[in-house]
Amino acid sequence: MQNALKILCAALLPVYILPGCDAVHYTPARSGSEKIIEVAVFEGGYGIDWHQKIAARYSDMHAADGIRINLWGDPRAVEKIKPRLLRGDPPDVLDLFGFPVWVLIGAGKLSSFTGALERPAYGTNVPWRDLFIKGTLDTFTSDGQVYAIPSALSAWACWYDTRMFRKHGWSVPKTWSEFDDLCKRIRAAGIAPVAFQGKYPSYAWNTFVALVQRCGGLAAINRLNAMEPGAFTGPDVVRAARLLQEMALKHFQKGAMAMTHTESQLQFVNGQAALIWCGLWLENEMKNSTPPDFEMRCFNLPAVEGGKGNPDLFCGEGAELIFVPSDARHPEEAIDFCRYLVSLENAPDMAKSIGVISPLKGAMPPAAVSPTLQSVLEMMKDGPGIFTCRLPTLLMEWNNQILNPALAALLRGETTPDVFCRRMEDGVAAARANPDIVIPPYVPYDPAAFGEEP
Amino acid sequence: MLHRLGRAALYAILAVWLIAVVFPLLWVFMNSIRSSQEIFENPFGIPWLIVGSPHADNAGIPAPWAAAKQNFVAAWVKSNFSSFFYNSVIVTGVSLAGILAISAMAAYVIAKFPFRGNKAVFLYFISGMMIPAQLVLVPLFFQFTEMSRFLTRLLSPLGLEVQLHDSLSGLIILYIALSLPFTILVLTGFFKSLPGALREAGIIDGCTEYGVFRHIMLPLSKPGLVTAAIFNFLGLWNEYLFALVFVNASAKKTLPLGLASVSIQAQYKTDFGLMFAGLVIVMVPTLLVYILLQRQLTRGITLGALKG
Amino acid sequence: MKTRGEQRVFIFTFLAPALFLFTIFVAVPSVRALGYSLRQWDGLSTPKWVGLKNFITLFKDSDLFLVAFQHNLFLMFVGGLLTLALSLFFAAILHRRVRGASLFRVAFFFPNVISSVAIALLWVLLYSTTSFGVINSLLLHAQQILAQMGVTWPRIDLPFPFVDSKYVIYSIIPMMVWTATGFYMVLFLAAMENIPETFYEAAKLDGASEFAQFRHITFPLIREVFTVGVVFLVIGSLKFFDAIWVMENQQPTSDSHVLATVLYQKVFTEYNVGYGSAVAVLLFILVFFATLVTLRLSRKEALEY
Repeated sequence: MQNALKILCAALLPVYILPGCDAVHYTPARSGSEKIIEVAVFEGGYGIDWHQKIAARYSDMHAADGIRINLWGDPRAVEKIKPRLLRGDPPDVLDLFGFPVWVLIGAGKLSSFTGALERPAYGTNVPWRDLFIKGTLDTFTSDGQVYAIPSALSAWACWYDTRMFRKHGWSVPKTWSEFDDLCKRIRAAGIAPVAFQGKYPSYAWNTFVALVQRCGGLAAINRLNAMEPGAFTGPDVVRAARLLQEMALKHFQKGAMAMTHTESQLQFVNGQAALIWCGLWLENEMKNSTPPDFEMRCFNLPAVEGGKGNPDLFCGEGAELIFVPSDARHPEEAIDFCRYLVSLENAPDMAKSIGVISPLKGAMPPAAVSPTLQSVLEMMKDGPGIFTCRLPTLLMEWNNQILNPALAALLRGETTPDVFCRRMEDGVAAARANPDIVIPPYVPYDPAAFGEEP
Repeated sequence: MLHRLGRAALYAILAVWLIAVVFPLLWVFMNSIRSSQEIFENPFGIPWLIVGSPHADNAGIPAPWAAAKQNFVAAWVKSNFSSFFYNSVIVTGVSLAGILAISAMAAYVIAKFPFRGNKAVFLYFISGMMIPAQLVLVPLFFQFTEMSRFLTRLLSPLGLEVQLHDSLSGLIILYIALSLPFTILVLTGFFKSLPGALREAGIIDGCTEYGVFRHIMLPLSKPGLVTAAIFNFLGLWNEYLFALVFVNASAKKTLPLGLASVSIQAQYKTDFGLMFAGLVIVMVPTLLVYILLQRQLTRGITLGALKG
Repeated sequence: MKTRGEQRVFIFTFLAPALFLFTIFVAVPSVRALGYSLRQWDGLSTPKWVGLKNFITLFKDSDLFLVAFQHNLFLMFVGGLLTLALSLFFAAILHRRVRGASLFRVAFFFPNVISSVAIALLWVLLYSTTSFGVINSLLLHAQQILAQMGVTWPRIDLPFPFVDSKYVIYSIIPMMVWTATGFYMVLFLAAMENIPETFYEAAKLDGASEFAQFRHITFPLIREVFTVGVVFLVIGSLKFFDAIWVMENQQPTSDSHVLATVLYQKVFTEYNVGYGSAVAVLLFILVFFATLVTLRLSRKEALEY
């Protein structure tokens, strides 16, 4: 019996030892001349099916050169790659957000796309750079070097169900007081006016930024982005904060502040709430839970009476940014794959598959997209352009520790707009005074070019 | 009369706590065999598997058995709980073997051999218990990178590279090292309680020191080994922080890590049945070990309580 | 025959693995942690010596570190006291030979063996504001019943968002107590079972009540074990991480941070290794002193019998 046990243990030893030695691998060079490009994608509202299709197609096209794409997705992809960046072993391509980009740029850990942008885009003779809508490449540009390529355009809008609106005889508001009235009428009809993704207060940020533009024009946005002293405490910004808080306190769905994005969006598509502010990924993210006759459309943030901003502009920027770390095993091949991913050839397909608007000019025939996205194109059609506030991506610590809690407090009614703005202002001032934070120079929007008074 | 009322009140309180402890666990087990649809309709109902489904004629709603199987298959196969489970088994198993072997050897020597510096060595190990894992977490992260680079440079002529991160072996090494203080403490106590005369008798009979250890001391210290094994097993199987930091690749995740990441995904896809099935897969091994070995576990705590 | 030399070899071979592993993977990193805390480093470029600047920033950072520390203290005192009280209570009851004591003892320990991640997820479900939430439904029912009786208390808005960042630290207390009570109960029960029955018989003859017996016999005689329990609780609440991390979807806010989550976020999210290491060093110091103080306080009276 003893002996039998001993033999059993000895036999099982390899079972233990072999997997336990998984720290040692063969180098890729030895295992064959195949180059594997690892692509990490944020698996969220847009899913990764389309990305995988593109990866497979690229792998097929370049199989002869021994290049293969290994694309994986995860909602928490960013948590996985942050330690890998820290230990110098990152994937070749990063299609996600939420890591300290400027720190990486400062440490020289991100490759620049500038060279690739000067050269012809995939499938044409035009330089790649010229294909992008103005403003989409600016998010992570420093010293003339472009460190991130957008694969989509983001816009922030208010979504609703035209079915519900027709049924109750409601119409899309053109001004903020009309919006307020509409919410009151929605509440009277027994429906919660506005759903909100309360567990992630940053969902209110873009609404706030759009309100700032409506109240104070692009001049106010410029001041925010340049981190000028007093940028947050100007009367226009305080007014925007007050309007935001009023909407939250009067019109948010009960219990919204504890809901995740999926929970609140579920409430929206199930008709418990009539409106929701969200990005363009809403349709795709909720496509499995949306009833089939739901008619999802959007409208831009309405004009604010007495505000200086052009109401045709919309809050948006280059989105779904792609990065190539400089520690990647195959940086050149990685950049080439990015060229293929964001090309005129693949843009319409991307729109049809996952419902995004391409950042490339003229890449989207309206017929190629869903009715929901057509309403977005409608919204963008008359607008001369997009604007955004770069502070959350620039100042990660400020974003996590000051912006998000302050927003949450404002929306719960625990603080006044003045205190809120002061908190943000102080935080930004502290960041400005902090010599360790890198602040790249800011190229301001030109209000006149966007149809506003300077 | 008052005495009996008092007794009844005590029983009532005990019963309330019993329900509070058992009900959530029961709820998880019950919901793991119900379909997401069923759970959404009534989160606290009895599974249709038992009372029959009111939607028996509706083809759109899965049959009870199918629903249960669907949940566990989704968890085990599609959400990769099978690989999480496998990884946890390997990591916990190999770590346990390593911890017990290495600690027993060190504890035996410390307990039975009065060499110079004996007390210092003992205190050296025990001081490790004062060190919270969080202190060494960050340095170990960078240390692993340094060690990986160093070992890779060593082995690259052979065409090999070493990456301690994202590997089960790296996690195993860490778990062994971090569990040494506690286990050495426990086992030293046990070895000390064994009479020294046994060793002398063994030596006179012609055993080597190794022989004495293997044939006499180890078998006698089985209660101590079992206690140490159970405590370490529970701690390692459920360990989260180090796994979170040192393992990022899905293929190498252990159960707690996998459960945490899947639950976030289930949030995205609102598949409740999957979530409960996953919870069951995580909970069952430790509950089983506990129910089977609870006597040894309690005895271990008892003896620990005595030693103070 | 055995020589001194051979015995030396034996001792060395048996100690070497443990010494090697412990030194390289515990002792050395502990010292390096101190080094990291005195430098400013993003984990990518070269570190820069800044002395105590990280610690100073820590203490001036009243929004993050001090608040997180308060949360740890809250868990320690409120959670700890509740756990100790309940576990003492249950141990005392079960000790006086209640029927089915072993069933209770086995069952109450269950939550202790389950992964903290699983427990956190379980409680997130229990606390949910949607139809899942047992606790909210119970409270709703209670509120309705009380309303029917004309009582308008408690005047809180239901469903209550227990898992909201603002309240999650409070919501963790029931979870903590639920999990830990079983363990401490078993610990104290084991210690109580060492007390000779004769003491209780003598006390009963003298006419002492159950409660007096507990106060004068049981509790003093388990004092050492009780102290050990307190030390465990203190250390545990300082190292608390898993539940908050999972409940806050890996993104705690300053309302819900504890020391360990601050550490993780600072190092792995914001790439500020110096600040995070400073937190780690402080955590170590706190654990060290808490243990020393608790042991010193208990050293005052060790009862022999």
